[in-house]
Amino acid sequence: MIRLENINKTYFGAQPLHVLKGIDLHIGEGEMVSIMGASGSGKSTLLNILGILDNYDSGDYRLNGKLVKNLTENQAADMRNQLIGFIFQSFNLIPFKTAMENVALPLYYQNVGRKKRNQLALEYLERFGLKEWADHYPNQLSGGQKQRVSMARALVTQPKIILADEPTGALDSKTSAEVMQILREVHQTGITMVIVTHERGIALRTDKIIHLKDGIIENIETNDPDSIDFSKEIK
Amino acid sequence: MDFWQEIFMALRRNKSRTILTGFAISWGIFILIVLLAAGNGIINAVGEEFSDQSRNVYTIYWGETSKPFKGHGTNRAIYFNDKDIRFLETESKHVDQLSPSSYFSGTASFNDKSNSIFVNGVRPVYKEINNVKMLEGRFINAQDEKSGEKFIVIDKTLRDKLFGEGVSPLGKFVIVNNMAFNVVGVCDAERHSDGGDSYIPFSTLKSIRRISRYWKLSFTVKGLETKEDNEAFTHYLRTQLARLHEFDPDDTSAVYIRSMQEEYLQTMKIFNTFELFIWIIGFAMLISGIVGVSNIMRITVKERTNEIGIRKALGAKSRSILASIVTESLIITTVFGYIGMWLGMMVAEVSGKILGDIQAGEGLSMNIVPSIDIRIVLMATALLVVCGVLAGFFPARNAVKIKPIEAMNYR
Repeated sequence: MIRLENINKTYFGAQPLHVLKGIDLHIGEGEMVSIMGASGSGKSTLLNILGILDNYDSGDYRLNGKLVKNLTENQAADMRNQLIGFIFQSFNLIPFKTAMENVALPLYYQNVGRKKRNQLALEYLERFGLKEWADHYPNQLSGGQKQRVSMARALVTQPKIILADEPTGALDSKTSAEVMQILREVHQTGITMVIVTHERGIALRTDKIIHLKDGIIENIETNDPDSIDFSKEIK
Repeated sequence: MDFWQEIFMALRRNKSRTILTGFAISWGIFILIVLLAAGNGIINAVGEEFSDQSRNVYTIYWGETSKPFKGHGTNRAIYFNDKDIRFLETESKHVDQLSPSSYFSGTASFNDKSNSIFVNGVRPVYKEINNVKMLEGRFINAQDEKSGEKFIVIDKTLRDKLFGEGVSPLGKFVIVNNMAFNVVGVCDAERHSDGGDSYIPFSTLKSIRRISRYWKLSFTVKGLETKEDNEAFTHYLRTQLARLHEFDPDDTSAVYIRSMQEEYLQTMKIFNTFELFIWIIGFAMLISGIVGVSNIMRITVKERTNEIGIRKALGAKSRSILASIVTESLIITTVFGYIGMWLGMMVAEVSGKILGDIQAGEGLSMNIVPSIDIRIVLMATALLVVCGVLAGFFPARNAVKIKPIEAMNYR
């Protein structure tokens, strides 16, 4: 599903910053992996490249078999729209749209009709137990609810991949656990999932933990979440 | 359809932003229109004072010499006589129709009521020259002048005093200094002095008073278009009168020559400057309006950078984001521009009516009616709309160029 070969990325600022120094990575279809690393290790940059939100300097990135390189802005937008669902730490909901409208928004950019859009959005909200909150604005929702809305939004287009950037970073431990539980359930449906986190407790709920350090992959740890008793896990 | 629904929802949900931006536009247009209308009102009022017919008018008043000349001392009064009239009527190709003026004062009575009266002997053309407004009946006509009948046109003030308000005096006889005059018309009072203005045929005045000296000659002119024409003609008149009355041609106080055309041109020159001044102010206001609107647009787009980033991450294309932002600003500027335009024109209209009524009620001769050229209004509104949209377009274009991830994290 995702295949990276020798990806390099440098930020040219006052002092050039070589953030990713030759990343080779393969993530198969239906895998649930996490990327861990200290801040500055390049994990967010990597996720942005995976999400085609940022470009890279050299190497090859294949997504769903297609080379993601030198795309026009429109091609990138189409690929994001069709293949990828995003979940962000700060939720990134549009404040003046209701929960339902936020969830329906990606469908708008797929030219799905209004009625169909809202119907699908409601279905996904219902799936996350938020049907009664469909007409609420983001500022009327709790953190956990907001994250569930953004998960519904990420899933409504039925993407191949979910990219989550610190999805529990702004949530308390109980809500975090709930969110991770939902993500696991989503993963069971066969969606590939990449989660960036710096919390081990979150990473332990994924099948593969990729440790990133100073722009290179330090090691890849395989993990079996089912063998861990999370009720004892201290966050 | 969906596109428009998105736009209107965004406008509705961001009410304060929409209204604030809109207010800036409405206010700019409103002030501009009111200002231009007021300026136009004043200019029109002055222009009206000089109606076409009264513009080609010369009036020569008697004066006193201030310089000795050919053995004559100073302070010699110069009055006009029949020689002057003959000269003006025959010698000058520019003089069209002439009316000398002379007068006597006395007491007018009707039944048991009496009042002081100021009787002018004039020719029919006097009415046009001096813009005498008739309230009822007629003015002195050519027939009266020929026959020398004792006809009289009295003014409103005298009519009210002798006959009572609203009572028609036509066909009745007033006694002036023991002579009966048949009232043929009532005119609006020009002078509000006690004697008022009453008119009898010039020939009648001459036959009853045997007057040969006149204090004023007024006449219409033709073929004088420019300021230079008028100056040359004034100079010609002065030298000819100096010759006839033996005074120094450079003595400007011997006779007073007043050219309405010259005065008109002079006033118009002042008002052209005034108009330019109004335009400069209006233009400055338009600029400040544009700057204000542009600023709000710029800040609005900056505020929306996060939203733009989110939309891009969700698969929005730059073009579609740009299209919706530009359409939003187009709708705001057009709708609020229209509101401002409408309000401005309404205020101009209503104040025009109110001012008109007040002026009519107080009998003011100047009539200030604010008015505005609709083309200018539309052009100014269009300019503001275009500038508002452009002001939204450029920062929006920059915002959609930012990588989505940076836009989302923009604070």
